Amino acid sequence: MFIDIDCAQIKKFGQNAFGDYFISKRSDNQKRLIAVLSDGLGSGIKANILSCMTATMLARFIEEDISIRKAAQIIMDSLPICQIRKISYATFSAVDCRNDGSVWVVEEGNPAFVLMRKNEELPLAYKEFTSPQYPDRHLRLYRFQAEVGDRIIFCSDGVTQAGIGTREYPLGFQRRGLLTALKSHLELYPKESSSELAKWVIEKALSVEPEQHAGDDISCSVLYFRNPRKSLIFTGPPYNKSKDREYCLSFGFFGGKKAICGGTTANMISRELRREIVNIPQTECGDLPPVAAMDGVDLVTEGILTLTRAAEYLEREELQHKDAAGLLVKFLLESDIIEFMVGAMLNQAHYDPALPVEIEVRRTVIKKMKKLLEDKYFKQVTISYI
Amino acid sequence: MEKVTVKICEGTTCFVMGGGTIKPVLTALTQRYAARIEIVSARCLGACNHADSFSKAPYVLVEDEIISAADIEKVYAAIEKRLKND
Repeated sequence: MFIDIDCAQIKKFGQNAFGDYFISKRSDNQKRLIAVLSDGLGSGIKANILSCMTATMLARFIEEDISIRKAAQIIMDSLPICQIRKISYATFSAVDCRNDGSVWVVEEGNPAFVLMRKNEELPLAYKEFTSPQYPDRHLRLYRFQAEVGDRIIFCSDGVTQAGIGTREYPLGFQRRGLLTALKSHLELYPKESSSELAKWVIEKALSVEPEQHAGDDISCSVLYFRNPRKSLIFTGPPYNKSKDREYCLSFGFFGGKKAICGGTTANMISRELRREIVNIPQTECGDLPPVAAMDGVDLVTEGILTLTRAAEYLEREELQHKDAAGLLVKFLLESDIIEFMVGAMLNQAHYDPALPVEIEVRRTVIKKMKKLLEDKYFKQVTISYI
Repeated sequence: MEKVTVKICEGTTCFVMGGGTIKPVLTALTQRYAARIEIVSARCLGACNHADSFSKAPYVLVEDEIISAADIEKVYAAIEKRLKND
């Protein structure tokens, strides 16, 4: 199973920093995923520091193989009390799961998470532990087995308390409101990604706030267990020309989505697989060469200029472009497991000093892209040099 | 009458050397010959990698004639020559 994870947040109205903090890490060769959502007391910078420290420390403890219960208990027992409000400085939810579906969750003070299975909420048993130092702090510990299609939804109280005091939601949106909204939304969009769902939840919460001004920091993090969407990007011809056919055939037989980045690469695949490259009219190609089409291939673009620009878009989180690089970014973000087949053959002409622009080395750009896709977009990326 | 085919290389080197701007201008300039010529983009003509033609991008292919260091003027002249011969 692949675990698609993302978080969306809105700051409390008038604040310039998020008071909730979200962190996620994949480890153990991408088989394990740890995520923490913490809500700092109050809002703004102070809350940001409190939640950031809580989430970061807890994630690190869990990553260091301290049991999730022990890690959460250390944090729960160590968090100081606000002298004014007499409550804990931060609340948190943490999840430690593996791609075989085993899941552990701990919560302290945050709204209880939701497990959606077959578009119904599945109530779960949990064990509760009370802090020996602070009797008002209770840790809920869950252990369960996730199935393909399951979604785990974590929210800060900014979601469940959205709209509090209004005529429509005198007690706030509440968990019940969230569940009803989630069910009707997922019925319409059963395959929605974590990123889209998290965004939808926070926007829904904001929509019930008076004047659409967030009364608190609003955060939602979603984990979606699903079969991975695989994709393969072939860029650059192989170093050894005698291997052209072999690599082209393996590209042709690949089971997921496919893209070609490079004119010479496209010509080679066209020749070996006997598939024609077709020019397609593209209205918004900007200053990049236009895309083309090939039977059985989802995207055909020019190589290094497009890859370089796509890496820039990923870095700047500009995901709305419609040129070839924008289409490549869309292709990448719609995949969970991405493999780059990078040909090591160098195009001498790219290093001609007369060129008016500096052309990056393909390997460097792909390495940068891998890091961005992994760190910023939580993708699993492999590179094979051929 | 068969159309004269003009292939403009839009491979990386040709594109950055100005090949990217040839197609729209050439299409506009040759409006009156629209029925007799076909202007298409090519992924990469592979010409830039030959030792003898290195450093002479962009390349445009007018039927079987390869034009190196191509610009609008050169390509336009090559098209006119072809059309006169037809």
